[in-house]
Amino acid sequence: MQNNSMGVFLLFIVVLLLSPLAEASETAKDNYRTYCMQCHGMQGTGMGLNIRDMSVQPRDHTDAKAMGGRTDDEIFKVIKEGGFAISKSVLMPPWGDVFTDDEINDLVKYLRDLCKCKFGG
Amino acid sequence: MKRLLFLVALIGFVTPAPVGAGENGSKILQNRCAKCHDLTGPAPQTIRKLWERDAPDLFYAGNKFRREWLVEWLQKPVRVRPAGVNYLRTINSAPVRDAEEKDKNYDVLYGAVLRPLKHLSLKPAEAEATADALMDLKAHSDLVAGMQLDRNKKVDLDRGEVLFDKVYGCLSCHQIEPGFGGYTGSELYTAGRRLQPAFMLSYIKRPKNWDPKIWMPNGNVKPDDLQKIVNYLILLSKEDFNAAN
Repeated sequence: MQNNSMGVFLLFIVVLLLSPLAEASETAKDNYRTYCMQCHGMQGTGMGLNIRDMSVQPRDHTDAKAMGGRTDDEIFKVIKEGGFAISKSVLMPPWGDVFTDDEINDLVKYLRDLCKCKFGG
Repeated sequence: MKRLLFLVALIGFVTPAPVGAGENGSKILQNRCAKCHDLTGPAPQTIRKLWERDAPDLFYAGNKFRREWLVEWLQKPVRVRPAGVNYLRTINSAPVRDAEEKDKNYDVLYGAVLRPLKHLSLKPAEAEATADALMDLKAHSDLVAGMQLDRNKKVDLDRGEVLFDKVYGCLSCHQIEPGFGGYTGSELYTAGRRLQPAFMLSYIKRPKNWDPKIWMPNGNVKPDDLQKIVNYLILLSKEDFNAAN
């Protein structure tokens, strides 16, 4: 029994030591501010710094009606694989190489907070 | 004798010391550049660290820049990134109404990026020496080792722009002529003169290999298109843009 406790303790120490080596997960807010805001804007309304010369305007994330028309899975997919993956504009690039799946799931929740909506209303 | 000494002293005073004898390129880098630029790496590994960056990383400058461009730019620096190196510091938190486009309230640039770039200018000999020292900073050689530009994969400017804008959406963040395109990426109308082809191929292929937290995505550019886009950027840089010179 004592050996078991010791083993668990040692495992805990090893995990603790290794954790800084693992890829750090960023918060959804930091990810949104760094990657999404450049086009979707500081207010999340789709009025980002980059949009002036775009042929298709970025989605307004505060638009409950439009955002409510998308399932969480669709939002996950468009972030990970880009607009093209759901037959929308290529101007939304794929972010799958930037975010982990967990980070994308956090972003989906963050977007649901922004639109104050869920799928279907 | 006194007159001779005075003459020697005077000659010593008015003759500029050769750069090699005084502050060589490496010393210029250490003394004048290292305060803002990272000369040793690694690049920021977290978003918080990314936001602390004040100037472009230079620790892989020798695998990134073309020496001729460095020599020219160091003597006459102009802004490469329309929104600065850290766009979070340069966008307006209170979007303003654009009189010409009534229904648009979009984020705008403010502050230092609206004025000409503030950066020290070097004298010709200093610029040459500093460019040499920068070309010796060769981190990430592994990333450019297998990268070879295929000049047969040519496109004209129109087809290049279609790839750049309509297929991969690069124009969203990058300008292909002064004032046309996005702001948060570096301007690309001088990229062909500024950057080594192997670097462009490698960076576009996977930006995070060079800069793990940078806000440029990996667009999964197909190998043939990658070659065409870099050939397009080289062709584009031969256009005569006033702001580019």
